[in-house]
Amino acid sequence: MSRRPPRGEYIETDTGNKVARKATLVGTQNIMLGGKTVIMPEAMIRGDLVRTLQPSPSSSGAAPNNTAVAIGRYCFLSRGCCLRPPGRLYKGLFTYMPLRLGDHVFVGPGSVVQAATVGNYVHIGAKVAIGEFAIIKDYVRILDDTVVPPNMVIPSFSIVAGQPARVIGEVPEGGHEAFELRELYKTVGNNPQPAPV
Amino acid sequence: MWTRGVRINHPSIAASVLEENAAAVMAPPFTPYTFIQCPCSDSSTFNRRSPPSTPTTHHHHSDNDDNDDDDDDEHPFDPRAPRSNYSLYPLEYLLYCEDCHQIRCPRCVAEEIVTYYCPSCLFEVPSSNLKSEGNRCTRSCFQCPVCIGPLSVTSLESHPDPNTLPVPDNPSAAPHGGPYILICSHCAWSSTEVGIQFDKPNSIHAQLAKLRNGGNPRMTAKERKERRKDLAQSLGSSYSSSSASGYTGYFADELDLDLDLETQFSNLKLFYQSQLANANTGGVGSGSSASGSGAGGAFGDLGFTSPTSLSRILNIYTSASSQDKKAKSRIGTMREALDSDEGLKIANLDESEAIAKLHAEGHPGTVSTSQLLNQTPQLHLGEPHLHGRSRFASELRPIPYLLRTKRSKRCPICRHIISKPEAKVLTTRFRIRLVAGSYIPSITIRPLSLPNASTPDPSALRPSKPAQFVLTFKNPIFEPVKITLATPALTPGRFPSKVTVLCPQFDIDANTDVWDEVLKDGDKRRKKGESMDSASGAGGVGGGQHQHQPAAGKIWERGRNWVSIVVEVVPASLRKPSQDEMPVLKEDEDLLEIPMFVRIEWETDAMGDEVGAVSGKDRDLPKLKRELAYWCVLGLGRVSDQG
Repeated sequence: MSRRPPRGEYIETDTGNKVARKATLVGTQNIMLGGKTVIMPEAMIRGDLVRTLQPSPSSSGAAPNNTAVAIGRYCFLSRGCCLRPPGRLYKGLFTYMPLRLGDHVFVGPGSVVQAATVGNYVHIGAKVAIGEFAIIKDYVRILDDTVVPPNMVIPSFSIVAGQPARVIGEVPEGGHEAFELRELYKTVGNNPQPAPV
Repeated sequence: MWTRGVRINHPSIAASVLEENAAAVMAPPFTPYTFIQCPCSDSSTFNRRSPPSTPTTHHHHSDNDDNDDDDDDEHPFDPRAPRSNYSLYPLEYLLYCEDCHQIRCPRCVAEEIVTYYCPSCLFEVPSSNLKSEGNRCTRSCFQCPVCIGPLSVTSLESHPDPNTLPVPDNPSAAPHGGPYILICSHCAWSSTEVGIQFDKPNSIHAQLAKLRNGGNPRMTAKERKERRKDLAQSLGSSYSSSSASGYTGYFADELDLDLDLETQFSNLKLFYQSQLANANTGGVGSGSSASGSGAGGAFGDLGFTSPTSLSRILNIYTSASSQDKKAKSRIGTMREALDSDEGLKIANLDESEAIAKLHAEGHPGTVSTSQLLNQTPQLHLGEPHLHGRSRFASELRPIPYLLRTKRSKRCPICRHIISKPEAKVLTTRFRIRLVAGSYIPSITIRPLSLPNASTPDPSALRPSKPAQFVLTFKNPIFEPVKITLATPALTPGRFPSKVTVLCPQFDIDANTDVWDEVLKDGDKRRKKGESMDSASGAGGVGGGQHQHQPAAGKIWERGRNWVSIVVEVVPASLRKPSQDEMPVLKEDEDLLEIPMFVRIEWETDAMGDEVGAVSGKDRDLPKLKRELAYWCVLGLGRVSDQG
């Protein structure tokens, strides 16, 4: 794919994003990264699935509304995960809607996220499928192999598992700090730092 | 929430919590864990040295018993005791009371509900509504009765004419009109399967309350009340000729069909109330009851079925004088309900219809136990009597979402609030959040892998082969702490493993400001030219001496606010020494868990009760000694059965 051998495994941007060269980003102009986000190899973001139907055609400014995937700060997209904007029939026409990720969102390996909104401090485990237009609020932990049905709303401080997903527990008061991804961010990239004690 | 040996992020946690079968637990790679015992269970562990009810002590060998003798602590803690399961918590689950200076666990705190809200629409439900409308969402939030997935409201006409559709000028004109149905996007169940459609896409709960499975209307609570009122009037007027009206209503089938659970109850209640009133006033005159009781001999005048007998019996104990007055009315017996207006419902014992349906639909047409459990009785309010169970999928009704709560927590001893979330549903902030993690050190465990030693898999514990683990204690408070550790030399249980803490006493520096760390780190990095050993784990003071061997009494590594020490274990052989064959392992007997007593001592400013807030500027203030001690359990791994 690339003619010359890449110097580092990751492309590190000015805003601190670390994007693996082996990650598949489609439609990069429609993907917004908030900064300090890690995208591991083989992760995929479908920025090409932009909304076909503008909500207000009267305002001709098409540019600001073209975001397909918006990602906050300190997100971590593991190997082989996929972010895919959800799509549905809207007034008789099929259209995609933007997918929004908050800050400190961890997406586990092999997970597929088609949510409408993922809040801040969300941990999505491995091999999780999040259905279209699901809304995940802040401080939610989704355990491995969970299937979140489309349109499901997961309130804050939920621990979710199962197929279909059900709330199986509550994030304890002392568990909030575990969602922080600042330290994890430092451990990957071209110049990875060891994890602190 | 967590099981022994299974961390919270276990994949099949829902299943394994219930079943805890060994296979499911074995499947994921083992992650070492630390559970801390809450002092609220102290009384149970204090009184008995080794609980006789413990299954493990049954099989105690005499050669194992010496761990009790070696241990000079008064009450060694046995993590395998059945009670321990209820007192051990991961650090994140524990709170800390600043007034009692003690750890508090989810089991001992007192909870108070701050807010009720629907987990689906996230609307707050005022507690006054809760009393009138129950603990479920009364908007349009429903769960699938088959798979519990969320139900969404969809128009039945899913493919409307696309030409007429883009009407940007008039968004209020709904492009697709009714009828609407509830559809599950996980299992594709839809309310058409039980014959329910809605006219409006909103306030589904109210619409569903008026609809029966199959689409027939049912009475709302208001209609029911009105009907009851009518009934009361008719009942009151026709009471004098009760025998006449009773038997005609008996065969009124159309009334009988209408008789749902709630109406039946209200009818019955009304009937008995009128009976009570009747018995108190005119019951004496009714000759039929007198003849019935007269034949009873000694028990006859007790009037077992009399509504006044209870009050009479009570009167015996309260006032003897009123006996004569009440004696007149005690003979008034109640008759039972005779028709559906009075709440009589003949049980339909003819099940041929159900049998025929079962023949036709087979097993898939029936409901499972879990589906049945989700069908709470209130879902069937106003439904025809199912005699306590619905058996066919066609009888299932959408489940309104159970409300969720935000709760504040109080210390059980001093009643101070130790955790209080913001009342608003959508905010995740806490007003008060005193978590144990910011007061007591966290303990992390990792297997010690020396660079020169070649252990194939450090997480697998081989019997009789010494294994070393690094315990890292991280101090969260802004004072230096002194830590003393104690473990029994042999772990409790049938297969005692030898435990040696190489450095049982050490000091940890204070948790200084985060910015200090950053500055210090930067300094260090510059000095060393960013040559940090990635395997060593973070900028320790002894950066150059990583080749050192674990030695008794020596700290393994030390950092800004953390200290690592080494624990050596010699796992027990799972074979008994006497016999060669493997004994049958009980659940988790191969799990190597070390009970450890942790004692923390630190000094704090006398006035500053809150440990974290003390800035340490006023050095003149007298220092106050504090200490905290608790048991914890270190789960190191599973001992392999080979060898």
